[in-house]
Amino acid sequence: MAQASATTAETKVWGGGRSPFNVSYGKMMMWFFLLTDAFTFGAFLISYGTTRFFSTVWPDPNQVFHAFPFMGHANLPLLFVSLMTFILIMSSVTMVLAVHAGHYGDRQGVIKWLLWTIIGGICFLSCQAWEWTHLHHQGAWWGSFTDSTAPLSSIEHFFNMKNPDVVAALPAGGMQATHDFYNYFFTITGFHGGHVASGVVLLIMVLINTINGVYDRRGHYEMVEKIGLYWHFVDLVWVFVFTCFYLL
Amino acid sequence: MSAHNHSNDIQHLYEGDQSKLYSGVMSHHTDINSSESKKQIGRIWKVFWILLAVTVVEVVLGMFFSHSMPKGLLAFFFLALTLFKAGYIVSVFMHLGDEVKSFMITVLIPLTLFVWFIIAFLMDGGFWLHMNNWSGLK
Repeated sequence: MAQASATTAETKVWGGGRSPFNVSYGKMMMWFFLLTDAFTFGAFLISYGTTRFFSTVWPDPNQVFHAFPFMGHANLPLLFVSLMTFILIMSSVTMVLAVHAGHYGDRQGVIKWLLWTIIGGICFLSCQAWEWTHLHHQGAWWGSFTDSTAPLSSIEHFFNMKNPDVVAALPAGGMQATHDFYNYFFTITGFHGGHVASGVVLLIMVLINTINGVYDRRGHYEMVEKIGLYWHFVDLVWVFVFTCFYLL
Repeated sequence: MSAHNHSNDIQHLYEGDQSKLYSGVMSHHTDINSSESKKQIGRIWKVFWILLAVTVVEVVLGMFFSHSMPKGLLAFFFLALTLFKAGYIVSVFMHLGDEVKSFMITVLIPLTLFVWFIIAFLMDGGFWLHMNNWSGLK
């Protein structure tokens, strides 16, 4: 008897007329898009991991990422990227607060938190622009460090020269490793930065719609929720990029 | 007149109807200052502090212990902490934890492919490392 009623309930759930997943089409498709995007980022990061795994020597993040704006040559490993991570986590919080305000139909709240999120996104992009410029001044770019006859002094400041194994492996593999490292670095952080930039554009569009009362007329703020999903995903990817490039 | 009505119908069908069924607005959330709302906001900030604390731990590990701890152990810590953070972002910030179970499963199952990807590519990398170090080729 219990089994029969369970079957009836199941038929009702999948019987049409209502989403069995209890989500709208748009929100479900945003999730599926993010799933595909996760695989793209995953492919990039796993490819990076493979290259790193088969390289005998690899640049040390504490050496590569040690600069901070306006601090000159002060040695501050990982501090700047920690700030970038903080900004992105913070913007994720303001985004979820905007979604929350949307659930309650609180237009002023949505506007306030969306504005903070946009500011956070722009701050993050500015930080990234500074970091790229800084590394570019050190000679790093796509396709840089290809001349294997160049003196080791051109790359050794990227490596942990206190480790004798690294010093020993540097002449044979250092140039190739530096080349690979920066190709991956600019491709992956660039692809992520592109996501952040398009996220900021989407947020500005949603903000304009909110101010114009489009979502009040529509009766719900689901668009804020969908763009919010995208924004959180961008934060999520950064969590992995941060680990792969700056920590491991 | 009829054309006007027609466009109104389309506007109505466009997103309003369907999304209204499932969005939070229809489940009678009205007061942003209600205790239920405040509880949810408290949860969001709690997750923020957890994420911040985990990131600080990661940075400290990376700054001060990256050369003194065994590499494998360090990598294990970093990956575990990263997955820990990812879980909070997906379940609370992206509200996947609040969706129905079948939808959660639908989103999460394809991601298990990553287990195979990582194993396959690390094996590939290991093979190349072996080949590069094999002096017979050089």
